[in-house]
This record gives sequence, structure tokens and C-alpha cells, in this order.
Amino acid sequence: MNISVSTTASTTESAHLEAHLQVTGLTKRFGGLVAVKDMALSVQAGKILGLIGPNGSGKSTVMKLIMGIERPNAGSVRINGVEVAGWPSHKIARMGAGIVFQHSRPLHRQTVLENIKLALLPDKLTRLFADPHIDDHARAIAARVGLTPVLDRRPGTLPFADLRKIEIAKAIARDPKVLLIDEPFAGLTATETEAFSELICELRDDGRAILLVDHNVKSVSRLVDRVLAMYVGERIAEGSAEEVMRDETVRRVYLGGSMETAARPESSFSDRSTPFLEVDNVSVFYGKAQALEKVSIHVHAGEFVSIVGLNGAGKTTLFNAISGFLPYAGDIRRQGGSLRGRTAATIARNGIVQCPEGRELFVDMTVRENLDLGGQHLPPAESAAQIAWLFELFPILNARQKQAAGTLSGGEQQMLTIARALMMKPKLLILDEPTLGLAPVILEQISKALEKLRQTTDITVLLGEQNVTFALPHADRVYVLEHARIVWEGEPAKFAAGGGTAYL
Amino acid sequence: MGSLSTTRILLIGLGVVIALSFLPLKVSGYILGLMTIAYYFGVFAMAWDLLFGFAGEVNFGPTFLIGTGAYTAGILDNLYQPPIFVCVAAGALAAVLGGVVLALPALRVRGPYFGLTTLVAVLMLQNFIVVDASLTGGEIGLTVPDVITISDATNYWIALWFMAISGAILFALSRSPVGLILQASGQDAVQAGALGFNVTKHKLAAFIFSAFFSGLAGAMLVFYLGSASVGTLVDITIGVQIIISAVLGGRRTILGGVLGAVFLIAMSEALRPLGDLSNFVVFAMALVVVLLFPSGFFGLLTRSREPS
Amino acid sequence: MVFWQILVDGFAISSLYALGATGFALIFGVSGVLNLSHGALMVAAVVAAWAAGNNLHVGPYAGAAIGIAVGFAATLVTYFLIVKPLQQTRKIREEEKEIFILTATLLWGIMIQELIAYIYTNNAKTVAPIVNGVISIFGVRTPQNEIFTAVVCWLAIGVLWLLVNRTRAGKAVLAASMNPRGVTLLGVELSHVYIAVWAIYGVLVGIAGVLLGMFLGVSSYSVGPLTASAFSIVVLGGLGSVSGALIAAYIVGYLETITAYLISPAYRTIPALLLLVAVMYVSPRGLLGRR
Repeated sequence: MNISVSTTASTTESAHLEAHLQVTGLTKRFGGLVAVKDMALSVQAGKILGLIGPNGSGKSTVMKLIMGIERPNAGSVRINGVEVAGWPSHKIARMGAGIVFQHSRPLHRQTVLENIKLALLPDKLTRLFADPHIDDHARAIAARVGLTPVLDRRPGTLPFADLRKIEIAKAIARDPKVLLIDEPFAGLTATETEAFSELICELRDDGRAILLVDHNVKSVSRLVDRVLAMYVGERIAEGSAEEVMRDETVRRVYLGGSMETAARPESSFSDRSTPFLEVDNVSVFYGKAQALEKVSIHVHAGEFVSIVGLNGAGKTTLFNAISGFLPYAGDIRRQGGSLRGRTAATIARNGIVQCPEGRELFVDMTVRENLDLGGQHLPPAESAAQIAWLFELFPILNARQKQAAGTLSGGEQQMLTIARALMMKPKLLILDEPTLGLAPVILEQISKALEKLRQTTDITVLLGEQNVTFALPHADRVYVLEHARIVWEGEPAKFAAGGGTAYL
Repeated sequence: MGSLSTTRILLIGLGVVIALSFLPLKVSGYILGLMTIAYYFGVFAMAWDLLFGFAGEVNFGPTFLIGTGAYTAGILDNLYQPPIFVCVAAGALAAVLGGVVLALPALRVRGPYFGLTTLVAVLMLQNFIVVDASLTGGEIGLTVPDVITISDATNYWIALWFMAISGAILFALSRSPVGLILQASGQDAVQAGALGFNVTKHKLAAFIFSAFFSGLAGAMLVFYLGSASVGTLVDITIGVQIIISAVLGGRRTILGGVLGAVFLIAMSEALRPLGDLSNFVVFAMALVVVLLFPSGFFGLLTRSREPS
Repeated sequence: MVFWQILVDGFAISSLYALGATGFALIFGVSGVLNLSHGALMVAAVVAAWAAGNNLHVGPYAGAAIGIAVGFAATLVTYFLIVKPLQQTRKIREEEKEIFILTATLLWGIMIQELIAYIYTNNAKTVAPIVNGVISIFGVRTPQNEIFTAVVCWLAIGVLWLLVNRTRAGKAVLAASMNPRGVTLLGVELSHVYIAVWAIYGVLVGIAGVLLGMFLGVSSYSVGPLTASAFSIVVLGGLGSVSGALIAAYIVGYLETITAYLISPAYRTIPALLLLVAVMYVSPRGLLGRR
């Protein structure tokens, strides 16, 4: 029975931990999609680098590549001078890297203490008896993060913040020289965020190199030494937090520049007293995490409402609750009648149609077949007429009628998704992040199509976007959704001044 | 289960086993025979539960490992008549090799493919046995010239203590640090890798442990029965009964497998008056358990509120 | 001479396999379920047809109809009694549901097998064929029944193809196999789609079973091998691909026939199994697999 002496990360030994993470030319492709392109960053010992970017920018992928959970197509990752790109994750972990995942993943059948002990175990098959040192060490780590009262409980019984503490405890137990932390503050209250920030600072002061990923610069600006901003897989800016927040490209990507808005005042809509759609104090929980907290919005018939919010804010959850895919507390009403209890398919047939973030196209079917399926509830003549109208709206779909949906470009797929939804002649069209991953030129086309829709029909639109340049110009009203709550409501023109500060 | 320490549970188990050792004084040789078979099946179920809990996937062909061990031992005895313990050891070794061969493709796939791989393994073994009749006795089965003993009581004690020791080892393993790593590998391979554990190495180890005990028990069973056949050791229905025993007893409890096996054998016996219908009823009851009480006996006992 | 025999016999057997495997693949593709009671449902159909002929003395057409009806009913019972409750239960973790469904359908199949053996013994049974007589193809004396089998199989597959590719409802089913969520977003109730698919499966299983009964006959022992051959074919063709299953059915059917004729009937299942093993090692997704 060996007794392993684990080097605890006490300050006396910080000289030991000359940490250094260096990444160059890192590239990752998933099929045709380039998720990360030529990424370069470096983090010194005792420093924190913030990696920020909107949803789809590739920051989580960068973390996975460094940790070996995904293999890079090209590039180099050096930990303490050792090249580890392409290694399996367990080897990289033993090399001195650790990761705190965005979503807590404890072992559900083990106690908190056992979860932490696991992180302290060596990778050996011969350990039949527990090392007594490990027990003490695990308890010490638990004390450091504040888990002592719940050591003998199972994760299923614990509140959200405690689960996050378990993740940090596991990371500390590994005693990593390089620590990757993915969105540490999502779902935490202000006090909890404070406590976590302090913990992260302590870990930095131990002499580790920390890479912190988040989508909100403000929340990490106090913690980090430098910030690197990403967009669509590439770095767009690097510097101190203030420098990055002032950077032109970053502001454009996050806030949009000055723009024309075409808002109609709320009083101009006929259903003043009973808006077409009412979301009333809706809350949604995913396990322990609160995805929506007492959210209330309303949309008038014929109105175009944009919900602006970053990744993780809760837009998709809200839309899925409206469309009937999720259980929720509170009420959702359509023209005064509650939607509770209706199946998702019924809600769609009755006129609330969603274009989800994932598009959900039938990739092996042709463009035409996808559209036909959208129109299956209509008599054949009406369906054909609707298709003709849509081909006018999106001419490229006409050209690609016979092509399989999976072979279209991203922008064309998005147009097909919208067109297919429009085949159902919806009263309310919900668009969830239609611009995700699309080039500006395509955004133009979609934007024009939406404009035409808005002008020629009386369709009601609920748009969820983090791309403000897209979300504001068509909107009559804007909501800002942040961390499960509505934090601002108002006219688009007032957004940059009012809601924008909450946003970036 | 988690509230009692491993040592406590093992001590309780020891007490139960000692008590059971007195059974031959009370019951007939027929019942002893049933219990003997039940104990061997208990080992099959425990070995299956180990793999299930650790690989995180369902092995539909435990009888591949059992059959390999059993037939190797039996054929060896028929051909060369070495001492029984040599045959049994050879059987266990063969099963381990079989486990490694099975693990290689099985570990590379997930979900239904894993289950199918294991099912295919059983089919292959079954076909091989039937086709190569001169060596294996084909459909009729293999008889071995030696048996361990003809005394019911002795056979019973051997089976009982074999099960006890196997159970103790398997249970201690599941509760040990290695067991913790194996559970993590099965439950969340990405996390386990990020914590520095070579998941493939550990899953392969889980296969080997399971194979060893399955093959060993299978070989011993051959020398108890004096014979081996596809119908008693390899057929899919046998595999299903093993899985049911483990599920009935409670998945991931290891020791529950024995309870399940004893229950199943007892049920089959109790329903014997129904004649050929007894099989139907046993499987019907098993189906009811799967549909309504997926947590098994131990699940009912510990009354866990969330799905286990 | 032997060559033509193999060609003809192989074609008939392969067509039968194709019909059964198509149903199996359809259920997996749309419903995500590997129904391990597949063989039992087929045998149930055959035995019902046989019993109708034997005990009720009905003609071959009526017997076939009864057989198909029983197969259909048994399949729906399988869905409503076993598969659906397990898919919707809260007592089992999502990741484990597949395992439970596999185990439960396996158990159910064994139950049916035991019940049939109990009531009707496990002797082989054949069903009176609808078509009798022998004709000569390429100099081979072939029972007209064999041709009938192949023709009916292909008719059924053809009708299925038309249904799925040319009707609105059928296209919804096809779409559901690609993307269940997408279909819900377009206002189609998935629960209806599932019932439709299992109903179609029930008819296919009934027809395949009855044809098998007329062609070769079955016994309660056939349950295991029938299920095994169906999923071997579907895995070989690629889980989720119906066209893959069709191709694989012919590969397996011909492999078996060639082996039976040229080597020995006892070894007929071996080459196909070896092929399956090889495919699983090299490319677990099968020939045309998607999932």
C-alpha cells in the first residue's frame, strides 16, 4: 500500500507552480463548420485571462481543445513548455491542467465527500484500500470552498450553488497549474458570485494560470488581468477589460452601431387590453438551475418584439415554454386563453410557430419537401400558393428547390427554416437566434425579408437575438433578458442608452 | 446502502452465510441442489451488476463469458482429464481472454451497438458450440467424467462459500477507490478523463473482473452438474434470467444479485406444478418487475425518491 | 443447375427477410426502439394462421387474414403495454430507458414463445399455402409458393414505399424518423406518428410471419433466430436505414442459401454472423447507417 504525498497548493509552495499556458494556431473543424480558427493566447502563472464572446463564438470549444476533450485539427497547446495538443484528456489532466465545466456534473450516487475524493485518486487499478490522507485532504478542500456542512449528502439534494462548489473543489483537488473555468457565475446570486470571485482570486494567487470563459465582460472585468474577445471562432480584440469594452469591433458585435429604427408606438396596436400573447410571471427550472425567473412579457397582434439577451440568458427557454415544450410555473395566454396543457403540436397548429435555434430541418429531404411538410395542414392548392409567395420572398430557395436541405449553406438553411414556418400561416412567428453563425451579407438578405414581411403582412413576430444590429431595426419594442430575468423594456431607440449598459 | 459502511455490510453478510451453512441439517438434498444452483447464478448476477455499474452499459451476453469458461473447463476435462482445479482455472482464464476480445469492439461503441455486440457474441458462441459437435457435444451437450463430489451437502457448502467470497470481493471492489473510479468512468467518461483517469483502461478492467468471476462460476457449475449445454449455460434466456436477477435485486448493489437469483429459482420451483406454464409465469413476473419496480428489492427497501 | 437453384431459393428467402427487417428498421428509425420480441410476433401470426386452419378449418385466405390480424394485434399490444409505458415512465433515468425497453421486449418475446409452446407444443407448424403447384424456372422445379412469397413481399415493400414517399402522412412519418422535434414544430402530434408506425409494423410482421409459415414453417424455437436475423440484418445495413436493411437482407439471405447448398445446411447462419462481426469491428455504423 503506497502512501502518496500530494503537494497541497499552499502559498509556501507557489514557487513550484511556474504555470504557463501557450496556445498558437489552434483550429477545429466540425465537418464543414470551422468552430475555432487560428486561435492564439497565452496565460502566465498567477494571471487570469478572460475569454469572452457571444454564443457560437467558439470559446467553449477552445477550452475543450486545450483540455483534450476535443482533438484540434491544427495548432499547438503548450503547458509549461510541453506540447500537449492531440493528447487524450486524462494525460493532459495529469500534466497539470484542470477544467471546471459550465454545467455541474457530479456523480449522483456518491456523496459530496466521495466526489471530492475521486479527484484526489491516482490513476491506478491496484488501489483497493483508501488512503487515509485522502480523506483528510478532501475534507480540507471542502472546508476551503464551504462544503463542510453537506459532506455526507448526495448532489441531488443540494442547491445549485453547492453543486458549483463541488466542481471548484474537484478542480482544486487536482492541484492544476493551468485552470480552465467555463462560465463560473451563471445561475448564481450576487453574494454567491462574490464568494466565487474571491475563491478564483485565491487560486490565482496560488500561482496558477487561469483561463476564464464568459460572455459578459462586465462580470469578469474585476477578476481578470487581460481580456481576449472572440467572434465566430476568431479573436477580434485583446487587452485590458476597459480597452476591450471600448474596442470598435467588439462594440459593433455586441451593441450594434447607431442605426435606423422603425418602431411603431405601442398604442397603435388594436388589442390594447388583451395582447395577443401574454407571458405572466413564468418561471422555469432545469433541475436546480433557474432558467427563467418570474418573466412577464406581452406581444400585441401585428407587433414586432425583440428579446435581446446573451447566451444563457433564457431566450430559448422562454420560447420553448411558449411553444409547449417545457413545464413552467406561471401562465402563458394566447388571446386571453391559457395555453397550459396544450401539446406542442397543438400550439403550433393553432398559429404560434417557432423557428428554433437548431433549425430542425429535415436534412435528407429536399427544400421543396421541407416546405411541403410545413404546408401539410393546408389544402394542396393553398399550399402551392403559399410556396409561390415564399419563393418570391426568398428567391434562392426557388433555385435550390430540389436540393437536399443538408447541403444548403447556413444562411440558406436559415431562410428555409423561416419559410417552412411561414408555410403554416402563423399568427405569431417566434425566431430564436436566426443570425447565429451567419455572415453579414446573409444577415442583410434575411433582414430585408423580415422587413418585407413586416410591411406586407400583419404577422406578429417575437425575435430572440444577441446580435443587436439585427434585433433593433425591425422592432417595435425591446426587452432585455439577463440571467433569467427581464431587466429592461422599452423602445429600440432608447436601447443603447438604457438597456445597453446592462448588456455589455 | 450508503449509510452502512462496507465492513458492516460484509460482517452482516458473513453472519447470513454462516447461518445458511446450517441449512443442510434442515432440508432435503433436492432443496440443497436448488440453492446450489441459485448461488452460482448469484455469482453470475453479481458479475453482471459489476460490469453494468462500471461500464455504464448493459451486457446482453453474460452467457458468452460464462459459456466460454464452462465449455473450456469441460472440454479440457474430456480431452486430458487434468485435476478439476486446473480445468476450472483454465475456464476462468479463457473467460478473461474472451472478455478482452469482447471488450475491444464493445468499448468503442455506445448505446444499442454495445448491447448488440454482446448479443452477437453469444450467438457466435452458440453457433460454434452447435456446429463443432464432436468437440462440444453440440445441442445435446457435454458431459464431463469428473464431478467435484456427489454429496449434496458438500456441493452446497462449496457453492455457498464460493458465492460468499466472490460476493465479498466484488462488493469490496465496488466500494473501493478503484470502484469509485470505475463508477465515474461509467457514469461520466468525459469528467473522468478530465480528472485524469484513463477511462478505457478502467472499463477494460471492469470487463476482466466480470469475465473472471463469470467464467470461474461457470466452470465450477459444470463440475457440479457434471454437464454443460447450450440450454443450461449459453442460451439467451439464461442471460435474460441473469439480468433479471440483478435488476430484481437492485442494480449497482452487487449483493442484490444474489437475492434476485434466489428469488427467481424459488419462484420457478414454486410454480413447478403449473408444468410447462411455469416458465411463462416466471418471465411474466419478471416483466412486471421491470415495468413497475425498476429499482428492484433494494430500491424498495431504501425507498429512494429519485430514480436510481 | 445448382446456381439457378441458389438464385431462386435465395431470392425467396431474402425477400422474406427483407420484409421482416424493413419493419424492424422502421420501428427503430422512427420510434428509436429495438423490438426484441420481433420474432415472437411473427411466430404468433403463423401459429394463429395454423390454428385457424387446423381447429377452425378455414380456407388458406381466411387463415392468412387471421394470422395477419393476430400479428397486428400482438404488435399493438407490445407498443401500448410495454414500450409506451417505459418511454413515458419517470421511475427510470432517461439514459437507461433504452436498456429497459430492450430487456422488457426480450422478456415479452420469451413469454409469447413459452405461451405458444405451452398451448400448441413446440412442434413445427406450417400454414396451408395459398398458391400450390410447381413450375420450372431456369430448369429448376420451384414451388409456385416461393414465387408467391417473393411477389407478396415486394408488393408490401412497394406499398410501404409509396405510402412513405407519396402520401402526406407518410412523409410526416419519414420526417419524424429524421427529426422528431422538427415534426412537432410543424404541428404534427408525435404520438399519432408512433401509433401509425407501430400499426404499419404490425401489418408487416403479420404478412412476413404468415408467408414464412407457408414457405418453411415455424416452431416456437424459431422465435430467437428470427429476432436475431432481423437485427443482424438491420445492424449490417445500418441502424436507421431502411434501404440499408433491404440490401443487407439480400446479402444475408444469399449467404445463408449459398452456405446451405454448397457447404451444409447446419452451417447456414455462420457466414452471415461472421460478416456481422467483421462489420461491427470495422464500421459499427453498418453499410448505410445514420445513427
